[in-house]
Amino acid sequence: MNRPLYIAKRLLLGVPVLLFGLTLTFLILYLGPIDPVLAILGKDATPTAARNLEISLGIRYPNGSLVPLWVQYKNFLVNMVTFDFGTSWAIARDQPVAAMIVGRLPATIWLGFWSVLVALFVGIPVGLYAGLNSNSWSDYAASFGGIVWRAMPNFWLAVMLSGLLTAGGVLDGYGDFLIKTDVVGTSNALQHLFSGIDPFAGVPVLEFFWIPVPNLGPMAEAFKWILPAALVLGSSSMGNEVRIGRTAVLESLRSEYVDTAKAKGVSPRRIIVKHIGRNAVIPLLPVIMGEFYLLIGGSVLVEKVFSINGIGNLFIRAAFNSDIPVMMSLVFIFILMQILFNLLQDVLYTYIDPRITLSDTTE
Amino acid sequence: MQSTTPTADDDPRGESILSIRNLQTVFRTDHEHIRAVDGISLSISPGETLGIVGESGSGKSVTARSIMGLVDAPGEVLPESSIVFDGTELTELSADQYQEVRGSGVGMIFQDPLKSLNPVYTVGNQIREALRINRGITGQEATDVAIDLLEDVAIPDPERRLDEYPNEFSGGMRQRAVIAMMLACDPDVLICDEPTTALDVTIQAQIVELLQDIQAERDLAILFITHDMGVIAEISDRVNVMYAGEFVEKAPVEELFANPKHPYTQGLLDAIPGTSVDDERLNTIEGDVPTPNQPATDCRFAPRCPKAFEDCTEVHPTHVSVSDTHDHSTACLLYPEGKSRTERVEHHRSQAPADTQGGAQE
Repeated sequence: MNRPLYIAKRLLLGVPVLLFGLTLTFLILYLGPIDPVLAILGKDATPTAARNLEISLGIRYPNGSLVPLWVQYKNFLVNMVTFDFGTSWAIARDQPVAAMIVGRLPATIWLGFWSVLVALFVGIPVGLYAGLNSNSWSDYAASFGGIVWRAMPNFWLAVMLSGLLTAGGVLDGYGDFLIKTDVVGTSNALQHLFSGIDPFAGVPVLEFFWIPVPNLGPMAEAFKWILPAALVLGSSSMGNEVRIGRTAVLESLRSEYVDTAKAKGVSPRRIIVKHIGRNAVIPLLPVIMGEFYLLIGGSVLVEKVFSINGIGNLFIRAAFNSDIPVMMSLVFIFILMQILFNLLQDVLYTYIDPRITLSDTTE
Repeated sequence: MQSTTPTADDDPRGESILSIRNLQTVFRTDHEHIRAVDGISLSISPGETLGIVGESGSGKSVTARSIMGLVDAPGEVLPESSIVFDGTELTELSADQYQEVRGSGVGMIFQDPLKSLNPVYTVGNQIREALRINRGITGQEATDVAIDLLEDVAIPDPERRLDEYPNEFSGGMRQRAVIAMMLACDPDVLICDEPTTALDVTIQAQIVELLQDIQAERDLAILFITHDMGVIAEISDRVNVMYAGEFVEKAPVEELFANPKHPYTQGLLDAIPGTSVDDERLNTIEGDVPTPNQPATDCRFAPRCPKAFEDCTEVHPTHVSVSDTHDHSTACLLYPEGKSRTERVEHHRSQAPADTQGGAQE
């Protein structure tokens, strides 16, 4: 079966999943004990004000009768599918939800990006190293470290780390170390980073032996600011990667194709890079792909603890303030991402492992 | 004249390409040393096939891996061992030098053809890799040579097959592809570790035939390891019967099947289904191969041997020639024939210390 057809088919199959997810969300939010009018106006609102608000929120017709649930459901579905996210009810009254999300996206993506990268570039090499040196002391240290990283829950680790780095913790100097950054809070490092696209403009160019080099200052500043939060967010994936990377290498190392490659006279280095490497990536792929959910969805807790003004923080504020349009829009985006990432993972599999083909079982 | 040195038949023509003296491979665990290969000697000449036959656990595969230098910790080839390939003492080579010998010098085919090809690379890629490393052939030329090699091993439509992955090949095709890959290395000695065991019988015959053709074409020396007496009869020129890390009998193939001397060899031949049609039950050798974790001071087959007597548990038998016309020797207290039991036991007893001290007397 060819690839475009498969992808089209999978996307089509994603539609019912999307509908199911949206319906479930709609039911939970609309049938639950959330009263947006109460949330916005407070307990002392006059009946007239409440009525007017209900009309403006679209849950009551101007003639006074309530909008039936199924009409609300239909409107909601049409709005979502046409990417019309509407305006916020409570957090920032009448502000477009889309703009609110886009405004907070950079912080979340920056956090997710580094949490994935840190986990990838630490977790996988450590795992591979442990597998190649199995049952040595360095392997025991790496494996134990992997378990510990995996076991520490985000909410605990985030609180501990932010405590250590600020407010008189042991590592209180972190904020002033090398480059001055905030540790908790939304740093304006990010604005520096995204406002100055030209690396030679904006901030003073460093001269290194009279040769101008791109000023990596904003980049370093933004990286240093996000590092603690990224470490926490990536911790469990990092632990997973150590464990699974180690197992994958060990399994590949003992396989007969490695013996055969040796019997062909292939050098040990090439055996590791070519013959073991690619086989070890196969079981790591779902772990790595799982991490990419962090880019959007996984950061609620970490963003809250480190006071980063990103999507996760927006979501939690929307939930506490009964801001249904914001919540709905975010859930819609999460579901969409999930479907696309799953599809991407399945397609990637076929590139990494030729034994997996895109034939579907329904044929 | 009857020679009684343990290595009498190992290099009959003095032209061997691979010759092994007193190979000892031990696996060290916390509580014991398992002597998986315990002082074996053999030699192979170009164009010749030496079969090694024995039950599972007798040390056949460890022998193969020892020759290839692929014994991993906790295994170790003891320093008294000698493996001479084409005039080079392999046991003294560094890891890098050994890597040079593997492939272009000694190649090896493993038991399971599905597992011995890397699943994530095309068959062509893996053959070209062997060509590049061992013969420096790259690019379009490598592709052409690879196509020729696949043709040599009778894979139809080789040009298309080159771009396919191992999982797209059938079992027999895979083993052919593995053979083509090893031929790409252009080795002088090919070790085949049960290459037909995972295949069904008709395919087995094809592979054996293919190996014979290739051998005739390239004057290849083949060390063929199997537990299948039928395959051994088909392919070997000479056969060494292995038991618990030692060779118990060495003979040319017809001689071995016609006049098996060692009770173990006799037991193996009796156990072939179909040799005695009238029997209702298949013949077996009771018991299992023991784990050789002590230096041999007795006959390791004695506990299972129908002809054992009390001295068998006390004296370690050495190889004695049992034929005037053939290169046929066996390690058993029942021989040399024609002497009294006391004489025979005394003969083996007098040989024993030399054997345990290394065995390389020449």
